Amino acid sequence: MKKIILGLLIFSIYSIAGKYDKVRISPNTSYIYVYHKGKAVKVHRIQDIKHKLVGEYTKLYRPKQYIQPVKITRKIKTIGEIELLKFMEDKSNSKQGIVIDLREKYQYLEESIPSSSNIPFGIKDKPEKLEKVLSIFGAKRDANGKLDTSEALDIAFYCDGLWSNKSAIIINKFIDLGYPINKLYYYRGGFQMWKILGLTTVSNN
Amino acid sequence: MKLYYAFIFIISTVVINAEIVEIKKDVPFVMVSSYGKKVKIERSSKENSHLTNTYARTSRPSPPFFIQPFEVAKGVDTYGELEVLDFIEKRRGIFVDARLRNWYEKSAIASSVNIPFKIFLKDSDKLTRILKKFAGKKGADGKWNFDKAPQILFYCNGAWCGQSPTAINALIKLGYPKSKMKYYRGGMQSWQLLGLSTIVPKGRR
Repeated sequence: MKKIILGLLIFSIYSIAGKYDKVRISPNTSYIYVYHKGKAVKVHRIQDIKHKLVGEYTKLYRPKQYIQPVKITRKIKTIGEIELLKFMEDKSNSKQGIVIDLREKYQYLEESIPSSSNIPFGIKDKPEKLEKVLSIFGAKRDANGKLDTSEALDIAFYCDGLWSNKSAIIINKFIDLGYPINKLYYYRGGFQMWKILGLTTVSNN
Repeated sequence: MKLYYAFIFIISTVVINAEIVEIKKDVPFVMVSSYGKKVKIERSSKENSHLTNTYARTSRPSPPFFIQPFEVAKGVDTYGELEVLDFIEKRRGIFVDARLRNWYEKSAIASSVNIPFKIFLKDSDKLTRILKKFAGKKGADGKWNFDKAPQILFYCNGAWCGQSPTAINALIKLGYPKSKMKYYRGGMQSWQLLGLSTIVPKGRR
């Protein structure tokens, strides 16, 4: 009897520990927790190894949606999923950084990367709104109109993916407005690569 | 009669041109050389086409598959598709598909040669032959001299595949200069998600 209980115990511990181990993020990480709108979300990968992505983000026909270069400028850091997850753990979770989804509002409401906030790309033509966003990010104008960025958040931008220029345009806008280059990150893979790697998404409806 | 065909041809090109999905603005295709033949690389211009093959899969068992960091090693540049196309169009070096042969033979990127990553992992006549091609010969100290070695651009299945990073790391150990190696992380998956052409290099090596 003791052996059976012990066996069950080991089995249950093993099965809990191993729930997201079949398809892992990296050798030592099966999942991480991030905060999304105040709630902890477990980010892992889809465990069904037969699962295929279908729908909008497998669409190939994308006229006028040109392939983006790997770097926006020489100094802006382009990151992948591993680095974005680290950003969420180290920066977003401690409110030193923020992940920004630049897609349309309806897209964001439907589904987004956990921990992200939505600033639709259209903001590029709205200087007043941009100023407001800058101050939310902790970049404040002093009396002379100079941008004080000493307390400004790190920002990781993403959009639809490899064929979308939204991140590049907004990041360039931020640089023009005086945001520090070393606080800007570009997740080039975007929502498409996030989805095709089977990473957890959230609905914002 | 001939005029009639010419007319059809002109009309159809106009219609097709209207829907062409360009690589970047005003660049509808890139010509590369693959096994002595000219091959055109372009993006799918078929409306309603979706990625449905094995590269639509989100989840692969780990090990061996994990999401790869954006960089293999400091000093080894990570490339995107535009950088890859520039490299192969201008023949700036050797384009290596680091996957196993059976994968390569199913579909690959034009102008690549297949050197499966395992070859770089242990001493063999084959590895010696390859290094001789890259380096010329060993110096007096018994080490390969890679001073005049070519640039090598590696790719494999994509962000979830460690095969080209493994090959690059093995070559770093052998003394190959990091500045002479590039990593196309998006690999077959991102390539096809962008609708870019692939070839079937059947029976080739």
